[in-house]
Amino acid sequence: MPRIGVYICHCGENIAGAVNVEEVRKYAEQLPEVAIARDYLFMCSDPGQELIKQDIRAGLVDRVVVAACTPRTHEPIFREAVAEAGLNKYLFEMANIRDQDSWAHWHDKEGATAKAKKLVASAVAKAAFLEPLEDRFVEVTPAALVVGGGVAGMFAALDLAGMGYQVYLVEKNPSIGGNMAKLDKTFPTNDCSACILTPVMVRVGTHPKIKLLTYSEVESVEGSFGNFKVKVRRKQTYIDWDKCTGCGDCVNACPARIPNEFNEGMDNRRAVYIEFPQAVPKKAVVDLEHCLNCGKRTIGTAPRIHSKTGKPILAPCERACKTGACDRSKAYDPEGEIIELAVGTIIVTTGYRVMDKAPFKEYSPQSPNVVTAMQLERILSATGPTAGHFERPSDKEKPKTIAFVSCVGSRDKRHHTYCSKVCCMYMLKEARLIKEKYPETDIYIFFIDVRTAGKDFEEYYNYCRNLGIKMLRGRVGGVDELPGDRLRVRAYDVDLGAPVELEADLVVLATAIEPAPGLAELGRKLGITCGSEGFLKEMHTKLYPVETPVRGVYIAGCAQGPKDIPEAVSQARAASSAAAVPLTFGKIVVEPLISEVNQRKCSGCGTCEKLCPYSAIKLVEDKGRLRSHIDEALCAGCGVCAAACPSGAITLHGFTNAQISAQIKALAS
Amino acid sequence: MQFEPKIIAFLCNWCSYAGADLAGSLRFQYPPNVTVVRVPCSGRVNPMFILKAFFTGADGVLVGG
Repeated sequence: MPRIGVYICHCGENIAGAVNVEEVRKYAEQLPEVAIARDYLFMCSDPGQELIKQDIRAGLVDRVVVAACTPRTHEPIFREAVAEAGLNKYLFEMANIRDQDSWAHWHDKEGATAKAKKLVASAVAKAAFLEPLEDRFVEVTPAALVVGGGVAGMFAALDLAGMGYQVYLVEKNPSIGGNMAKLDKTFPTNDCSACILTPVMVRVGTHPKIKLLTYSEVESVEGSFGNFKVKVRRKQTYIDWDKCTGCGDCVNACPARIPNEFNEGMDNRRAVYIEFPQAVPKKAVVDLEHCLNCGKRTIGTAPRIHSKTGKPILAPCERACKTGACDRSKAYDPEGEIIELAVGTIIVTTGYRVMDKAPFKEYSPQSPNVVTAMQLERILSATGPTAGHFERPSDKEKPKTIAFVSCVGSRDKRHHTYCSKVCCMYMLKEARLIKEKYPETDIYIFFIDVRTAGKDFEEYYNYCRNLGIKMLRGRVGGVDELPGDRLRVRAYDVDLGAPVELEADLVVLATAIEPAPGLAELGRKLGITCGSEGFLKEMHTKLYPVETPVRGVYIAGCAQGPKDIPEAVSQARAASSAAAVPLTFGKIVVEPLISEVNQRKCSGCGTCEKLCPYSAIKLVEDKGRLRSHIDEALCAGCGVCAAACPSGAITLHGFTNAQISAQIKALAS
Repeated sequence: MQFEPKIIAFLCNWCSYAGADLAGSLRFQYPPNVTVVRVPCSGRVNPMFILKAFFTGADGVLVGG
């Protein structure tokens, strides 16, 4: 007969504040097959674990139930403790009396206590049917995939490559660099963004262990932790990158004009283009959607022959190309190329995008002089549309009065309820850069709260105020266009307790940071989820901030939530070290919680084979009869087969029929 | 006395069970008459489990996945 030990955690006040622990302990003590029931302030702490270990070592218990928080975070910790004391670690079960009981029924102490008893009874009932299981080990592919080539992705890739692992860096744009490449200066030190970023881009581009896959996107992810099989679609560039030298001759020859995404639509690029002058790799791509097909000749068709000279009539881009990289007669596959990668771990660093000004009708987005902060960043940048000359878009005049509007789309129920975190600091930075260069400029920042938490941030804020940048507390209600390209800002000054109006030459909207487009879809491919705000969810906010519920998949940077560069880089380097652990270890433990077929009961009907979402089941001939066979490496332990098997021949270890039935009985009675 | 239904919820470890954890960590309050059986996937829920729950005294069953 099993001897079950029940250990109830107070979790400080977290459980004990709603659940009468002593009452639950007494109840547990009299449950059938329970040998001992104890409680402790923090069961997961060293003395708490020691309580369990001592009882196992003394031979008092041979199965363990811990009633505490969620098994999703703490099951591995207790299993380890159980194993250390010499018991099979799968002879352990948890009752979730915190996350799903005390916290959720805080004001109903009686109800919470009664529920805790039931949950303990259910765990005890299951524990009686637990069976010892053995861990399996799987070899790890010593390579990693990093999705997203912004500053976070680049550092994650460099760290892993520096440890000697093969890294594949996938970036959807033609160049790595991400949003940081668009910035002029960076707070709080006012480093030139390009000066600190471009050398890193070069290092990434030339590192022998990093394979850059730009203009590419993740198509599908198969396999599991340690052995992911990733298909990457390399979009069609219509330029032979092996031959392209990035000279830009084709770009200069192209007659098409399309709003330039890199300069936030404030100038034009060509249909054949290099993303920006410092691009890595510095290669051209043809934007086929906007290509004018010069001479009415579409790509992939042979040029017409000149009737007089007998020479082919080439398109301007082809004519300009000296290396033969631009060859429009080549039949390119518009679908691009699929590249298959085998990696052990994956880091997602897809970054963010800033909201467009268009949804904010109250701020006159149709005016060219109402710009987003990212647009101002490009205006200030030496590589921007004005080559760093500070001028407003409508008439190229230097603005004399500038108004910044904070929290545009952030902290706003109509758009995003979260704080974008970096806007206060980048508004101050942009204001400071302007004020330092042109002290006569009047700058007003309308804010709701100034949030400058961070090392040296508050000092930066004070410095800006001392420069004479005026801070006004109050939400801006509207921006109106006035004659002479002037703008009227209407706001409510909370400190004055009165409405205020201000005329400005330029209005800057600090628009919200949003998840990168397609993030939810990428999350689905990887099996990780987004929170309500659309950013990827980490496994545990405090303790496992770069891990995800899918083992082997890590997240960093703004894919996880809005953050500044120092934070994004710290997180990226944390993710790379977490992702390197299994690569270094070389093999990983796979829980044996998978399905097993009882060959004698199996009728060979094939129901399970059709239903298995992981294609882990095959019908194999055995002694002249078909029998279901499960590939242990592919089985993910979902139990669909066990639920569907009409013969009851399949057992899912860890969630057997007997175990679940016992739980149901304990909960329902 | 008011009728308090006894509800058994079969929740997938990866989504709805995680959701129930999240509800707790956000301190969302709900009645305590729902108790959870953690399953590795809602596909693990054999219809017999649902019937068994009703036979042994449950008034309602929730399958989340």
